Amino acid sequence: MKDRKVVCRCEDLTEEEIIHAIELGYDDLESLKRFTGATTGPCQGKGCLMHILRILSQRTGKSVDEIGVTTQRQPVNPVPLYILAAKKGDRE
Amino acid sequence: MTIKIAVVGGGVAGLSAAYFLAKNGAEVNVFEQKYLLYGASGRNSGGLTAQFRNEALIKLALRSLELYNKLQSETGFNFLLRRDGYVKIANEEMANVLEEEVEIQRGAGVNVKIVDPDFVKSLFPDINVNAFSIASYFADGGVVFPWPVVWGLAKGCRELGVNVYDYTPVKVEVKGNEVVGVKANDELHKADYVINAAGAWSNEISRQAGIELNNKVFKEEICVTESLKPYLDPYILDVSTNVYISQSMRGEIVGGIVGSETTDINVKSSLDFLTNYAKRVVELVPKLRGMSILRQWAGVYDLEKDGLPVIGPTKVKGFIQLNGFGRNGMSTAPAAGEALAEYILKGRSKILESLI
Repeated sequence: MKDRKVVCRCEDLTEEEIIHAIELGYDDLESLKRFTGATTGPCQGKGCLMHILRILSQRTGKSVDEIGVTTQRQPVNPVPLYILAAKKGDRE
Repeated sequence: MTIKIAVVGGGVAGLSAAYFLAKNGAEVNVFEQKYLLYGASGRNSGGLTAQFRNEALIKLALRSLELYNKLQSETGFNFLLRRDGYVKIANEEMANVLEEEVEIQRGAGVNVKIVDPDFVKSLFPDINVNAFSIASYFADGGVVFPWPVVWGLAKGCRELGVNVYDYTPVKVEVKGNEVVGVKANDELHKADYVINAAGAWSNEISRQAGIELNNKVFKEEICVTESLKPYLDPYILDVSTNVYISQSMRGEIVGGIVGSETTDINVKSSLDFLTNYAKRVVELVPKLRGMSILRQWAGVYDLEKDGLPVIGPTKVKGFIQLNGFGRNGMSTAPAAGEALAEYILKGRSKILESLI
């Protein structure tokens, strides 16, 4: 168990699983994200993207610049629907 | 001699056509301009229905539902397919629209029926029954996760010997009145047939072959909430407000507003969408008001003027259209790809008769 390195807590992904996905051919960031779900959970990549980039870089030999980053989806932090639905002057 | 095919566009339509062509002996290359899932096939909400007004479209949808079952075992990929029903709801003003289309659908063999708000409440207790007055319920519909669908089809294609090239934009090459193939990275890939399955980019690809296509382009936005335990079974589309919601197998409430026409192909998200969506969804399901939006995104799709997909040959020999699926590509494109493969290899396809 101590070898089990979790790199994405939201989607419960280990380093081994990321490497496996890269070996299957999902070896660019956009594909890797969409195959594993990494960066799409509650943290929205804040906790995992750097790990994913490091592993991709180590496995493919590409620099982090070459790999790039994925689109940062809005909102930056989760926003409750009642706030988005509020009208001017509403109090909660 | 082996028939050579170049498919432009690595979405559900293009990959499905490639899969069935390769399965029946053709030599196929698929070219995707960006990464797989960049287009509408990777950005939609995965709703599967046959609640359409055109009989050919309905047949494609019913066949596609069968194909999803079959393809996930053939390709060894779990599509996270859930067939817990598809519900269209409407207010009084739009009630006759639903009633009319249910007649058409039942005539075409769809297991669909008109139900009242209380029935929908029995499927989803948290829905606000005062927010709509009538519904049409398609028990065999459901939700699929588009990502594994595309991965599975691509894997199935590769196992059949298809080259699936990503990050490879192409230019269609025509000589006289016949396609020669497509050019990618200055290399000519010869083909007897070029299939234009480029979704929102289909007009551009068609123009390269010298054919004016004029599909309209639509942009649609979607968002997801944080995850909940399984809670919302059917896919729900409100045809009066254009809002839809469903729950993914990951637990998120996936929702959006049906897209509107745009002249500019972009996939930027907007705050306007988010606030409009929030107002409408909170009215429809008041309990969701405390849920937080995690992420939002946008996608683009193409639709022909009369709302039917554009499938079949053109006046340029070998240049074949497979586009214009609108927002229903997940529901209809797998069967359209299968049927087009049959049309190309055997010269005819019954299911496409009225569309070609």
